[in-house]
Amino acid sequence: MKEEHDMDERTTVAEDGEFDPRAAAKLLEQTSRRAQRQFEFPSPLLSLIQAAAVLAAYGAVWLSVRGQNPYSGPSGAALPELYAFVAVAAVAVGLDGRRARAGVSGRSSRQAWMRAIPFTAAFLAVYVLMGALLYDGFSHAIVYGIVPAAGPLIVVGAAAAGYAAAREDWQVLSFAIGLVAIGAGSAFAGPAGVWGFAGVGCCALLVCRAIVQVWLRRG
Amino acid sequence: MTGAGAQADPLDPLIHVPARLRIVATLAALPGGDALSFTRMQKMIGLTPGNLITHLRKLEDAGYLSIEKTGNGVASRTSVALSHRGRAALDTYTAALRDVLTGL
Repeated sequence: MKEEHDMDERTTVAEDGEFDPRAAAKLLEQTSRRAQRQFEFPSPLLSLIQAAAVLAAYGAVWLSVRGQNPYSGPSGAALPELYAFVAVAAVAVGLDGRRARAGVSGRSSRQAWMRAIPFTAAFLAVYVLMGALLYDGFSHAIVYGIVPAAGPLIVVGAAAAGYAAAREDWQVLSFAIGLVAIGAGSAFAGPAGVWGFAGVGCCALLVCRAIVQVWLRRG
Repeated sequence: MTGAGAQADPLDPLIHVPARLRIVATLAALPGGDALSFTRMQKMIGLTPGNLITHLRKLEDAGYLSIEKTGNGVASRTSVALSHRGRAALDTYTAALRDVLTGL
């Protein structure tokens, strides 16, 4: 790494000691891009890991509920698989966040904790809603099918969209609206199909995010 | 508002040095109000500690960045943050660089 920087410096300063403006522009662009890549969160690799995890998690549930008539909900074996893949994704998020934020302190670190509050509240609200629907006598198709599969995508996507809109972050806003659309649209597939459609849809969206991130890096 | 030599030279001489340009550009990649530890900056920039401190002090003297040291002994931590003035100076430098390149 150091050798690379030393080489940069030798080649950007001319023999008479003058720093060539063209070399300065190149160095500025290279340094900015390298720094942005190192501070970038989530990274394209994390997006791909999340894509695989969400496909495996939703896929495990879909495999356990397809063909159920009447719909009774995910099997006992599918739920540990679902939570195992959610845990894998969570660990990956933690490691990637630690990589990007190593040595960084200040306002955005504090804001990250604040940001987690509405997302957690929105996510937990889905499970409270499931309890309320069950209490009110709604069918298992609604309580253990449509709501847990599509609900988190809609509420977390909506919360992320609001946050991204406030920051004018078009990349995150597009991704968040995509999540909401997948959540709402996949509900049309019914209580079993919603798991499959949502899983494939989220996986495709995350792969698209990784591709866009790599494309923007090349800019 | 830029460094003292900025009036005479379109390219701010405080920034127009490879090592300091890398320091300022790296810090500018962070969101405003964030600071970077000396250790990570050294890894990212690839300078020796002594060399890095020399350049950081020059930028700090110009008000382009702030250096904060917390803790004592082995637990001490030095953080570096780009100031509003430093960010503005980089913007001015970038614009001036563009003008210079257009004229070449």
